[in-house]
Formats: sequence, structure tokens, C-alpha cells
Amino acid sequence: MKIKAEVLIIGGGATGVGISRDLALRGIPSVLIEKGDFASGASGRNHGLFHSGGRYAVSDPEAAHECISENKILRRIAPHCIEETDGFFISLPEEGLDYRERFLRACEKVGIQTTLLSRDEALEQEPELNPNLLSAVRVPDGAIDPFALVLGNAKDAEEHGAKILLHTEIISLILNGDKVKGAKVKDLYQGEEYFVEASYIINATGAWASQTLKLAGLPIGMALSKGSMLITNRRLTHRVINRCRPPFDGDIIVPNHTVSILGTTSIRLEEVENFEVTPHEVSLLIQETSKMIPAIQGTRLIRAYAGIRPLFQSEEKGDDRAISRGFVLMDHEKRDGIKNLVTITGGKLMTYRLMAEKTSDLICKKMGTNVPCSTHSKPLPGANRPTGLTERLKQFTTDRGEVLCDCELIQKEEVKALLEKEKLKNFQDILHRTRLAKGTCQGGFCVYRLFGLLHELRKIEGDSNKILKGFLEERWKGIRPVLWGTALKEEELIESIYKGIFNL
Amino acid sequence: MRYDLIIIGMGLSGLMAAKTAAGEGKKVLIVGKGMGALCLLSNTIDVLGQFPKIIRMRDNLFQWIKDHPQHPYSKVGLEKIEEALNSFLSLFPPPYSFQTVDHMNCLIPTGAGTLRPTYFIPITMVEGTSLNEGKALIVGLKGFKDFYAHYVADQLKCRGVNVSLSDLLHGEITTTYLGRLMEKNSFIKNIGREIKKQLNGENLIGFPALLGVHDPIQVKNNLEEIIGAKVFEIPTLPPSIPGMRIFNRFKEWLIQKGVTFLLGYPVSKVTLKGKKCEGIEVSHPPVTTSYSADRYILASGRFMGGGLEGTAEKIFEPIFHLPIPQPQSRGGWFEKKFFTVSPHRIHRVGILTNNAFQPIDERGGLILENVWVAGSILAHHHFIDEKSREGIEITTGYWATKKAME
Repeated sequence: MKIKAEVLIIGGGATGVGISRDLALRGIPSVLIEKGDFASGASGRNHGLFHSGGRYAVSDPEAAHECISENKILRRIAPHCIEETDGFFISLPEEGLDYRERFLRACEKVGIQTTLLSRDEALEQEPELNPNLLSAVRVPDGAIDPFALVLGNAKDAEEHGAKILLHTEIISLILNGDKVKGAKVKDLYQGEEYFVEASYIINATGAWASQTLKLAGLPIGMALSKGSMLITNRRLTHRVINRCRPPFDGDIIVPNHTVSILGTTSIRLEEVENFEVTPHEVSLLIQETSKMIPAIQGTRLIRAYAGIRPLFQSEEKGDDRAISRGFVLMDHEKRDGIKNLVTITGGKLMTYRLMAEKTSDLICKKMGTNVPCSTHSKPLPGANRPTGLTERLKQFTTDRGEVLCDCELIQKEEVKALLEKEKLKNFQDILHRTRLAKGTCQGGFCVYRLFGLLHELRKIEGDSNKILKGFLEERWKGIRPVLWGTALKEEELIESIYKGIFNL
Repeated sequence: MRYDLIIIGMGLSGLMAAKTAAGEGKKVLIVGKGMGALCLLSNTIDVLGQFPKIIRMRDNLFQWIKDHPQHPYSKVGLEKIEEALNSFLSLFPPPYSFQTVDHMNCLIPTGAGTLRPTYFIPITMVEGTSLNEGKALIVGLKGFKDFYAHYVADQLKCRGVNVSLSDLLHGEITTTYLGRLMEKNSFIKNIGREIKKQLNGENLIGFPALLGVHDPIQVKNNLEEIIGAKVFEIPTLPPSIPGMRIFNRFKEWLIQKGVTFLLGYPVSKVTLKGKKCEGIEVSHPPVTTSYSADRYILASGRFMGGGLEGTAEKIFEPIFHLPIPQPQSRGGWFEKKFFTVSPHRIHRVGILTNNAFQPIDERGGLILENVWVAGSILAHHHFIDEKSREGIEITTGYWATKKAME
């Protein structure tokens, strides 16, 4: 088999699918390959903060400016992926008000709207806040659903002629003089290897950018920074809560549907795979975030997870937080004399669209065409869907039928519809597209039921228990760091079910 | 009111302790926060499931005791283990009795389509142990989300069907709801007929373990008569109807023997004087009642039962605050992998006792003179991996009480 593509995009994170959509809307067809599912890297492993830019206003005004302008654009084009909660930057007695003054000035400079609230005003709106706080500054932060955002981009790209191949890994890049001829890729399910010939190649592999370039013999310097997060089993606040001081571990609490996410740490890693959340990180996050919301000390945690920030490194610096969170668009024609290869890395979810725009602009320039970008004005599919409280309440008042997941109230019919609509390759793909296994029991019950359903629908064959064991092992990575208190009861129950009753 | 014996905990070990004391005519109070893991997880009686099918359990136990001197079984001893198990069995005369297959572990099919080794099984599960001697059909119920016939059948390489019944169109169908429904003759008739329609030469019907809460034999017989094939039960997700049958049988017998049965109340406080427990307080807000006895049995279970608790820093026993030797920090509680060759270290943690099941400290000093400890809260076993849950509960509940009454 052989595929011919005008543009080959490597990487199915927000940036990759963003480029795919951007090019498609400009009428340029592309093929995207992704070795896992959509958003398997940093796009799907972050705290889901819809940045106002406030976090970077003092330390990195350029990044802050990018954030606030993308913030305004995304509210228009992807309202269904965003919960417009607003955010507070709260000042605690420990650090006083010096930083707040710098913060307010910096926000004004980059155009982030702020409102200063007194202690009492802040507490009235967020009663769980530390009552000793000095003040709060309100900024237009919010919560974003990264997976919905990525899926929306992918869907629109495909509708406009783009091709997306999931579970397809790049094996090698084939160089021919001053060009990359294409890539040898492997379908990880069929096992088939084939060649994708392309006129232009975009490396949008985030933290894997250097690894991918190594296939063409062109490694770059990347800093890999692990950020760990914890999920609470209830939503602690309506708004995003930030600590008003220079960026540090455990300075943010982001609401997400029915839970809150506590973040983050920043630890330098050598390797892009095989990382875990350490007990020290868990303790540190609880210690720091509970200074903002004391109730965190007694709140049950349901999972710990980590993502890797791909930080581009132009020179050695001590502190990863000092490396710009801005993105890097690298034209390998200028850098290495390879005419048709481009790398886009660094940056963050918030600026995925801008990154896609700049990358697509560069590709257009190389092609000698001049079609303008339109992603800043064309809404994503589903954007006109009403997302307010009324819609959410409707879910609960309609007849629900059989429920697979008792934590998140996922109906059997909903999962069935998904299975019929999309050609999903493995059961992790299903978990990604529903809230199954996202609740308190983390799939302890509903994943067994999901397997039951798959067998009932004849969508799976063979040794399901091997896959079930694999899921329980994966689940373990997330819950092991936060096992104490009531979570120990559940651990004993789940272990008794799977090792006991089911003898797995 | 003064008792001869107060038992804290209403799981299988507490119930067994109550039975043992009441059987000797003692005045007994049993108090429990809830019904224990029994009604969630116990379907059959495991003794030492990790041993192969071909060795007699007596020989397994003999070897085990030799190899594991600190294990609760070793403190009970082979002879008393058998005595305890027989005492349990005596509560279940036919028709709903427990039996072994040739005094060895047998393999029963499970809700995940695996085969699981266990020792005593209720006779509603016996046909499941010889699946390959017949042709089996696994039957599930449409709308019941805790059992999947096709999943089980695909793993066991036989056929699975779902029957749908108009009786089941309303509301959420749970295990307990179905268990009760199965006791209605009209429902059995309908379901029996539906299953019969689905038969294609099969002579064995595998059904989720919910053939009635009170009279499973009657349910089984009725079904078999209608279908014309043998029916057996398959254990699945909690709650466990077979476990409830065991609980109900104990409850009925104990109350008949005059045991005071306090279900649903936690012990809020114990009064200690020197090395003696002088009384307990049971909280049923807004009232708190005090009870006292000559002797006490602590059978409060592990984390699920509330017998052990863990903060982010340490594991403790919340009622008597008995010492719990444990890894230095929580980083040592669990292994990196969920499925491990050696069990998670936290599961070996528990209360140290002497051979009479009295609580001791790490130097062997007796902590309380009139308290005995039984069941899963004991140290030096890991019942999930050993597959010894019910065996440990029955035998230590029995023997700790015997020692307490000496």
C-alpha cells in the first residue's frame, strides 16, 4: 500500500488537528497520522484551564498576549468546549500584596480585563476560599474540554477533505537530497507498514518532536517538564482559583464538570515515556492548594495524573518555568537545508489555533499560494448547540434507561450510539469519548459492564479479560498515589472483586 | 444489662463467634455497623483457593500450617479448623447445604467467564463445576447490568443469550430486586418459558447467582422443571445473594437462640481500665447506649468494614487503638503494579495476637486481657491472594470465641 498526500501532518494533538482543519479550510488536503488516539499527549493531559493569560502576565507578556487574544477567539468558535467560569487570583497573607500590584499593571499592559474584589466579596462568591485571603482579582479564565476541542477540529477537518489515521505510527522519514520524500508508517492494529509520499511534512508531535526529527537525523534541544495534577471527587469552586504570586507548584485549582483539578508541579524529565506521580508531588500539591482552599485537606482524591510540557530549549536554563511557554515554529529549510519539513512545538493548548495558523501560513508560503486563514472566524461543528444549564438539566429529566456508569450517569444507549457511529479501534477510544471511568470508582464497575456490552453487541472477540487486566493496571497508575482514607475501602472492594470473585 | 460476650462486627467472623458462644448457652450481644463484606463478596467458602485441584484440602492445610507459623490458620490448628468448618456447615442442613467436590478445591465459572477455585459451594453451584460434562447455555437478563451472558459465554466457549421479560420493563433492575422477583411463581414461569425457547440442545443453564434470597432450592427446582435442564448459579458483581443467604441464616438462628442482634449501629467508644475492657458505647443518635460484658470479640473487618482506617500518614485501628505494625510510609503500602506476584504489603498489615487470639504488642506483651480478635483484621494473612477469606473468618471467629470462653 502507498498513500500520496499533499501535506503529511505527524501528531494528533490539538496542534496537529488544528493544522489539519486550517489547511482543509484553505482547500489544501492533508493526511494526519497519530500513533495513539487523539490528544494522547499533553493536549489530553493538562488541567483544562482556559487561560486568560493572567498566569503569564508578569513573567511572559508575549505568551499572555497570545492567550488573551486566543481566549476571545475560542469563546466565539468553540463555546461548546468552554465553561465560562472566570477566575480569581487570590492574595494570601504569606505573600502580601506586592505581586498583586505588578500583576494588575501587567494585565493592563497586555489587555487582560481585571476586577479587584475585597476579601468579603470574594468569599461571598467562593465560600470555600481561605477566609484569611487579602483580596482577589477576577480575570476571564475558564475551563476547557480539550478532548471535545480536538474532536471538533478533527471532525471539521475531515468534513473538508482531510484524512486522519489514528493508531498509525511513524517508522522512518525518507530523505532525498534537500527534501523529505515521505514517511514509512505502520498501522498498529493491522500491523501493516506502508509509505506515505508527501510534498510537505509537518512535525506536530509536541514532546516527541525531537524523537520524530531524529528519524531524519535532525535532533533539536527540548526540555521535558512533567506537570502532575490531582482530581478531587467533587467540584470545590465555581471559578478557577489561582494564587497571586509568581508561578510555583500547586498554585491553581480548575473546575471541570463535577470535579476540580489541583495543579501543578514542574519536574524535569529525561524521557518522554514511563513517568509517574510521586508521593512527594501528591503531598506538595495538597499542601499548597489547601492554602487557597482549606477543605482540600479532607477532600477525597480520585486520581493523580501527569502530562509532559514540551518546552523548546534554545540554551540551558535552570528553571523550566523561566523557559517561555510560547511556541516554536521551525523551518528546517533555514535550519538544516531540508526544504519541505516544518516543526511546530512548545506552546500550549490555549494557543493551538494560532500555532496552526502560523504553521499553515508557512506551508502556504512554501507552496507559493496565498489563501488566508479562516479558523478565527469559522465556528467548530457543534458550536451553535445550546450548552447552558437548561440543556444540562434536560439530561436528568428525560428517561435515562439503563445506566452503565453510576458515578457519571452514562447510559447504555449513549455508549451504544457511539459504538454504532464511529469506527473505534480499541476500548480506550471509547473511554476517551465518554465520561465512563472518570468518576469516583474510576471504572471499577463500569468498565466490566462496557466489556459486557461489547460482547453483547459482538464488537469484541477473544480474551477480554486480558484487556480488562490491562485497564485495571492502567487505572492503578492513577489511583495508587492517592490511596488513603475512604479510597482504601474502595481499593479493597475492587481488588476483592477482580482478584477474588473474578479470579483474574 | 450485662452480657457474657460482646462481639463487635457482623461479618462472617463476628457471626461465627456469636454462633459459637450462643451454642454454649452464653448471653451474647453482637453489634455491627453494617452487614459486612459477607453480603457483598462471599458467594462460596474459600479455604485455600490458591492450591491446585488435585490435592485434598486437609493436606493443603497441613502443609500451609507447616510453612506459615504466623498465619491465623496455624494459630487455630488443623483439627480445630475442621471443627470450625463443620460448625459452620451444621447451620446449613439440606436442602440448601454446602459441599465440596471430593474434599478438594473445585473450579466454578464466574461473571467474567473465568474459572475460580473455591472449597465449599452451595448446591446451587454444583453443576457449574463440571461444565465440560454437558453442554451449557449462559443466560442473562435484558436490562440487568451486572451480568453479561455473552461475555461469560465467549470466555467459556459456549453459547450465551439474553432473555427479555415484560416484567422487567420498569425501573432499575438490581441484583437484590431480581433475587426477590425470582421468588414469585409467575415470574419463574415466564423466565423458564423464555429460556426453554432459547434452548438448542443444551442441558445445563448458567444463571447469575440470584435464584431467590430465601428459598433458592425451590426456585432452582421450579426452573429446572419448566426448562427441562439443570440450572446452576454464577457469582458476579456485588452485592452477593448467596452471601445474604448466609447472613440471613445466621441472623435467624442467633435471634432464635436469644442473641441480642444490633445491626446498623457503630461502636462509638470503649471504656478501658488497665488491661481490661469494661464496656462499649453504641451510638444511635441522639441516644448513646452503654453495654458491658465479661469478654469481648473484635471482629470489625479490614478497611471496607471499618476495622482498619488509613490516613495519608498511617494505618490505625479506630476502636481499641491496638498497635498496627506497618510500612514506614504510604509509599510502601502498595506495589507499582496492581497484579503482582507478591501481594500488596498493606494486606498483611493487621492486629498481632498470641495463639489464643488475644491482642499483643510487637514484643509479645498482652495488651488487653478480656478482648479476643477474629477475622480479616488479623495480621499475617492476605486473604485476597490466598483465596482464604471465608475460611479465615469462620475458623478464627470460632476458635477465638472458644478461647475466650475457656
